[in-house]
Amino acid sequence: MIRVENLVYRYGSQGDPVLRGIDLEIKRGEYLAVIGPNGCGKTTLVKHLNGLLRPSEGTVLVDGMDTSEGRSLREIRRKVGMVFQNPEVQIVGMTVEEDVAFGPGNLGLPPEEIRRRVEEAISFVGLETHARRSPHDLSSGEQQLLAVAGVLAMAPDCIILDEPTTYLDPAGTRKVLDVVARLHLQGVTLVHITHYMDEIVETDRVVVMDRGRIALSGSPPEVFSEQDILLDLGLEIPSVTAFMKKLRQMGVPVDPRVLTVEDACREITRLLERRP
Amino acid sequence: MSFLLGQYVEADSVVHRLDPRVKIVSTVMLSLLILGASAPHCLASALLLGLVMHLTRIPFRAYLKAFRPVIPFFALLFLLHLLFTPGTPLPPFGAWAITVTKEGLFMGGLVVFRFGLLVFAASLLTYTTLPSDLVFGLERLLRPLKALGVPSHDVAVMVFLALRFFPVFLRELDRMREAQAARGRVVRGGSLGLKIRAARDLLVPLAWSTLRKADTLAAAMEARGYGNGPRTYMRTFSLSFRDYAALFLLLLLAAWRLLCGIQA
Repeated sequence: MIRVENLVYRYGSQGDPVLRGIDLEIKRGEYLAVIGPNGCGKTTLVKHLNGLLRPSEGTVLVDGMDTSEGRSLREIRRKVGMVFQNPEVQIVGMTVEEDVAFGPGNLGLPPEEIRRRVEEAISFVGLETHARRSPHDLSSGEQQLLAVAGVLAMAPDCIILDEPTTYLDPAGTRKVLDVVARLHLQGVTLVHITHYMDEIVETDRVVVMDRGRIALSGSPPEVFSEQDILLDLGLEIPSVTAFMKKLRQMGVPVDPRVLTVEDACREITRLLERRP
Repeated sequence: MSFLLGQYVEADSVVHRLDPRVKIVSTVMLSLLILGASAPHCLASALLLGLVMHLTRIPFRAYLKAFRPVIPFFALLFLLHLLFTPGTPLPPFGAWAITVTKEGLFMGGLVVFRFGLLVFAASLLTYTTLPSDLVFGLERLLRPLKALGVPSHDVAVMVFLALRFFPVFLRELDRMREAQAARGRVVRGGSLGLKIRAARDLLVPLAWSTLRKADTLAAAMEARGYGNGPRTYMRTFSLSFRDYAALFLLLLLAAWRLLCGIQA
């Protein structure tokens, strides 16, 4: 659904490029994670996916529409929604439902249709009881759910999540990730930037970025098997994977390519049951 | 926001249910009438405002609160008129170098009374209308100006964002003050120079963080399709009988004032 070809981006006409030739194809319904150290160009890359930034060189196509052509921007922004890191700053409404209505209003939809979408989006993220409250009264987690609802009301095909849990407490994080998982089940294409390795175990594919290039790309187990590269970039592997690797180094014959606590339990019980 | 405009007060009343456009037009017209009103007209306006305030079912105490921040301004206004209006001097003050005239006392009183009524009128509007309805009404009222090149929608959004982000900045300012206090800055009781320096050290980072926030907000609004073609709203408003009735009463009032003006 999104195709990035030889994307180069630099601020101003001179200076070092922030992105140095990115090729990436995102399929419909795919759940993609983007990781990498600060300043590697993750956010700059995803800002190209809905035309917030335009390529210095190369092209970005959303369902065949070029993001550098102004006349397709409205449709591109409808198709590709974006949730930002800081929940407070992206809220424009005085009440929860008015904030959700902002996007559909920008699409020029009739009032009844806006009302319908607003109610649907608010109930999807579970904020029904807060619909008429001020966003200031919400917790950070609820504010981020509101941001997701605001994007959902535009009926997007793809949602970009730019470190959506950084400002949240564990409860808020869990709620947001739960909504993200449900969106994936509904077939929404997801691009999730994160610093938390535990958040990407459920994804279909992980793209690791380093200094404006894609350093690694593959399924989560594939990417996490390249521990040395990841450590070089200052990244980590999920604690469960690290634990299993340590076990294996100590001589316990477990398969270290597990990512979740459940899989690790299964692997260890399998081993224990084999013993007499 | 609360001390700039007065905050919306939830209540179930006829005034709350009036169309925001009608309320904005009424407030503007009433304010114009009050500004040039003579003493008897001021009293009549006060009675009218009092009646409407009663209809809102909001306790009178809430309206009085709106006055607290403007008291110094009122005092200054009163003093200026008291001291600088020529006329018959009042005996008790004649002894000092200053003279206070009868006309000065009257004018000062009248001016303060007028501004007081203006504050009541403004709080009537903001107490009974949701900020978003206010902005919506403003947008609709400014729409005819589009022909003259006034971007009515952008103006409305600007007002809206100013209201929306005011508390955010206050909180940010608090955070910065705390961060600086944590590093040993003591301002209370310091000299004027120290206070000015402290203000500067707060304003520079505040401006910086404000610009950064504005940048993100702009990106977030753009990502949600802002500025790409015509906009619609979830809310719809239509004028009902009570709106027409209110407008009719207002017109009567204005006509009466005009007639009085011609006679005088």
